[in-house]
Amino acid sequence: MAYMSMGEAHRRITEYLNRFSDAVSSQDGASLKSLFAVSSDSHFLLSLADALNIFHDAPRLLKNSDNYGQYSDIILPLFRCLQSYRQSNLLEAYTAFEKAANAFIQEFRNWESAWAMEALYAIVYDIRVLAEKADRELASNGKSPEKLKGAGSFLMKVFGVLAGKGSKRVGALYVTCQLFKIYFKLGTVHLCRSVIRSIETARIFDFEEFPKRDKVTYMYYTGRLEVFNENFPAADHKLSYALEHCNPRSEANIRMILKHLIPVKLSIGILPTNMLLEKYSLLEYSDIVQALRRGDLRLLRRALQDHENRFLRSGVYLVLEKLELQVYQRLVKKIYIIQKQKDPSKAHQVKLDVIVKALKWLEIDMDVEEVECIMAILIYKNLMKGYFAHKSKVVVLSKQDPFPKLNGKPVNS
Amino acid sequence: MEARRSRNQHHNLSSSSSSTSYTQKKPSNVTRHQSKFSSSARSHSNAARVPFNNAQEDAADADPQSFSDFNPLVGTCPYMCPERERIQRENLRDLAVFERLHGNPAKSSPSLAVKKFCRTISTKYIQPFDMRPLNVLEDTLNYLMSLLESKEHPFEVVHDFISDRTRSIRQDLTMQNIVNKKAIYMYEQMVKFHVISHHKLWHSMSDPNIASMHHLNLEQLTKTLASLFNLYEANRNSTYVHENEAEFCSLHVLLHLDSSSKPTVEPLSLWFCCVPALVLKSKEMQFARRILRSFRLGNYKEFFRTTASQASYLQYCVMEPYINEVRALAISCINFGGYKLHPYPLFNLSKLLMIEESDLESFCNSCGLKTCTDESGNKLLPTKQTTFSHPKGGFQHYSFLGLQEYESKF
Repeated sequence: MAYMSMGEAHRRITEYLNRFSDAVSSQDGASLKSLFAVSSDSHFLLSLADALNIFHDAPRLLKNSDNYGQYSDIILPLFRCLQSYRQSNLLEAYTAFEKAANAFIQEFRNWESAWAMEALYAIVYDIRVLAEKADRELASNGKSPEKLKGAGSFLMKVFGVLAGKGSKRVGALYVTCQLFKIYFKLGTVHLCRSVIRSIETARIFDFEEFPKRDKVTYMYYTGRLEVFNENFPAADHKLSYALEHCNPRSEANIRMILKHLIPVKLSIGILPTNMLLEKYSLLEYSDIVQALRRGDLRLLRRALQDHENRFLRSGVYLVLEKLELQVYQRLVKKIYIIQKQKDPSKAHQVKLDVIVKALKWLEIDMDVEEVECIMAILIYKNLMKGYFAHKSKVVVLSKQDPFPKLNGKPVNS
Repeated sequence: MEARRSRNQHHNLSSSSSSTSYTQKKPSNVTRHQSKFSSSARSHSNAARVPFNNAQEDAADADPQSFSDFNPLVGTCPYMCPERERIQRENLRDLAVFERLHGNPAKSSPSLAVKKFCRTISTKYIQPFDMRPLNVLEDTLNYLMSLLESKEHPFEVVHDFISDRTRSIRQDLTMQNIVNKKAIYMYEQMVKFHVISHHKLWHSMSDPNIASMHHLNLEQLTKTLASLFNLYEANRNSTYVHENEAEFCSLHVLLHLDSSSKPTVEPLSLWFCCVPALVLKSKEMQFARRILRSFRLGNYKEFFRTTASQASYLQYCVMEPYINEVRALAISCINFGGYKLHPYPLFNLSKLLMIEESDLESFCNSCGLKTCTDESGNKLLPTKQTTFSHPKGGFQHYSFLGLQEYESKF
């Protein structure tokens, strides 16, 4: 901490207070926003924090003034937050910030227009970020981390404030997205349901009115929820929306969307090009795509094993595992094609022993009974048309379209 | 046990000015949750959390770690049941069958009475002498588990009693913030109890009372399991994984085999994110994941083969409701895709589905499918029948070939 004189400290604090009251009186949302962005580590706020740690009489300063006295409920806790934050006391920083935020919301409610929305966004963002930091600190001290959960409750309150008929309602989607981030982080995704219901069914909200950036984020998270519930058509719709409307220059975001969209597309029979996978560093999917193209069961299983942790962490492992049925379909189709070249009249009859042999070449040990079981399932789920003859141990394929394509629909369950 | 219980503690029964701390238990409308951190997701209030001011029903069952902020009580009650409660219930003739001394509905004893579960209103009214310390709780649990062997009463009666009294044990553990390895062991016992109940009650599901008991038991099972996972996490360090954690984690997977078709509180895909690597590699989890995969793919051969060769008793109990579902899928597939002129021999099918041939015949019938017999007397399942349907009342119990020893544990 660079040396600062008492006078300098006093000057900086007064400057902040002036900026604050100017921003409010001129309804300048952008300026107000910069006064709350604690985690941004801006030079202005960091040096203010230093000043506060030297000059301890800020409360008296506030009380004795007409200009900013009325905002002391907001500013004093915010000052405490900055001081704690600067001293890396993150638990205290969050607790104080929440108090400041609470007081801000009370004022915000009374301001007629939505001029302070930018500042609200900054506060909502920092509520989450500071809570995450506080929880990390708690966990590292062996205590139970609970601030992020509290942040979730607080943001629900904020949502309630915005869910009205006025112009402020346009901020509700941003708050929703921050809530999604919190719930996803905590693993309590079932809590998303009530906010989603509010956004999608309340008559005060018109989805198209919300800022584009928030709509993309919203569709990304709700799309991911559909992936968790294996509702592929809905997941495809939402994640594709997010992809289409995402800023084409934010490659990191596109990558995140694709990471979840690709397994969905694979499940409905649509394969990405290797160029796409390369462009967005998603090569963990390339073997899986290859396995689907070739009917290579061994490759699929190996790819799942090699990238197991990554797939489990992003919640797509179970979806990818289910692609096995499509790989089996492809394998049998290849056998059929080869047989057609040799003897077209008999090609539609595939001996189970031949499939056993093909699997053996892939180093997969499966007996005739299990192969018959797989064939029965493929037929039942309409991945194959035909029947299997138990006594002759043969699959008889339909002469017309024996391997129906998925065409954008998921496999029958 | 008697000697320990009659330790010389004089409780001043008139000192309490508050009302009794126990009330009638109502069936709870449980909101299940499994959060990575233990704090209860049910209290959304931003104010400092006071545990039992929460009006929601299962606050009293909240996870052990959520009250670490508060000065936990230290219980001093030396008996399985606090003395004033026992006397009160004697007067009200509110004694369970197991608590009656010589069958007298108005008389109990310290070695028979066990503290009832009650939804407390506020910690203010709870006195240390109403709370049992850890060693008493351990003894109480052991006593309750010994009642499981009882042949005198129908299982539903035993279950109901143990379920309620173990819920009270969990409450005492929570309020005293006992979250150590001994707590883990106790929770594991209680999960085992609920798993065994899950198995035993399931076989009497035609009785609607028992069906609802089965449903409530499943709720308690899920809740207790979630608390157990929080305890594992609280006690975890980088090299240590509790010896039974893998099996209990596998039970969670096996309880949710069909989670993707039902929007549950926490999707299995999300749950897997939080499982430690060491646990994932365990043989119990590999088993559960293999079962999950074969279930989801419909690979009935692998499902039955794996179950028969690797399922532990607890795993089998938990999987049981799915077994007939997979059998139904299997005969559905065979009926749908099997060649009309090659009816499927029941002998082969019974080996595939791990079921007695006679049972298989009745199983097919209950699914609306007929069987036939060939010249040599072999039973067959003709295919392409149009009458397949799932039986409305669910399936009756069928044996599982190769796992009969689990069935005889009745």
